[in-house]
Amino acid sequence: MKVDGGCHCGHLTYEAEIDESIVTVCHCTDCQNLAGTPFRVTAHSFEGSFTLLTGKPKEYVKTGGSGNPRIQAFCAECGSQIYSTSVGEGPKVYNLRVGTIRQRDSLVPTRQIWARSAHHWIDNLSSVPMYQEGPPQPR
Amino acid sequence: MKIDGACHCGDLTYEAELNLEQVLVCHCTDCQAMSATAFRVVARSKPDTLTLLTGNPSTYSKIGTSGAERVLSFCPRCGTNVFSTTAGDGPKVHSIRTGSIRQRAELVPVAQMWTRSGQPWVDSLSSIPKLEEAYGPPGGITTYDR
Repeated sequence: MKVDGGCHCGHLTYEAEIDESIVTVCHCTDCQNLAGTPFRVTAHSFEGSFTLLTGKPKEYVKTGGSGNPRIQAFCAECGSQIYSTSVGEGPKVYNLRVGTIRQRDSLVPTRQIWARSAHHWIDNLSSVPMYQEGPPQPR
Repeated sequence: MKIDGACHCGDLTYEAELNLEQVLVCHCTDCQAMSATAFRVVARSKPDTLTLLTGNPSTYSKIGTSGAERVLSFCPRCGTNVFSTTAGDGPKVHSIRTGSIRQRAELVPVAQMWTRSGQPWVDSLSSIPKLEEAYGPPGGITTYDR
C-alpha cells in the first residue's frame, strides 16, 4: 500500500510503500518515554521504498532491547516523531510512526510487542469516561 | 502527587505536583499526528508547580480547535515530547506527557477527550496478538525488528 505523510508543521514530508497487514503496537519503555504516550504504532516500509520528499529530520541514536543501534528521526521544528531505522548504509526498512501517515485511519494494528511493559489499564479504555470534544474542566 | 520525569537522553529533567483528577487521554488529530501514535495521555500539573531542573527544551506553538495557542515543549536532542502549556502570562498548568514521568505506572486515566476522532481499534487492544518481548512470530516478521 502506498502511503504518504509528514510532521505537524509541514517541514518533513515523505512517501513509502508499506505492508498494511503488519502494523505494530509497541509497549516498550523507550517508545513510552520518547513519544510521551503509553505505546507507539508503527507501519513498516518495504526495503528501499521510503522517500523523504521535503525537509531534513533530526536524528537521535538509541540502543534497542536487541542491543542494536536505532535511529529515531523527528522534526526539529515541531517535535513530531517520524520514523526509526537502522544505522549505516544500504537499502533500509523504515518504521513509520502511524500518526504521521495521512492514510492512518485505514491502518489497524495486527500485533503488539513488548507487552510485558504495557500499562495495566490499556485493555480497558472503553471503561474510561469519554468526551466527544474538549477536556472536562478542572474542579 | 509529586512526580519527576526526564526525556530519553536525560538532557531535560523536571518535577511537578499533579492533579490526579486530571489524567486524560486525548484522541485529537493533533495529538495523533505529533505523538505519531493513536492517542496521548497527559497528566495536568497543579498551577505553577512544574519546575524544569535541567536542560532547555525546544518549543512549538500551535492553535487548538478552541482557538487558544498552545506551546509544546520537546527535547532538541532526542525529540521526547515532554509537556504543553498556555502561551503568555498568568498561572501555568502543564499538560505533562505521561511517557516521560517516572511514576507513570501509578497514573490511571480518568477521562478521554476528542473521542470523535479516536481510532476505532483502541478499545479492542486485547484482541490483537501480543508478544511479551519483540522477536519471533506471529507472522514471521522478525525482519522488521533488526
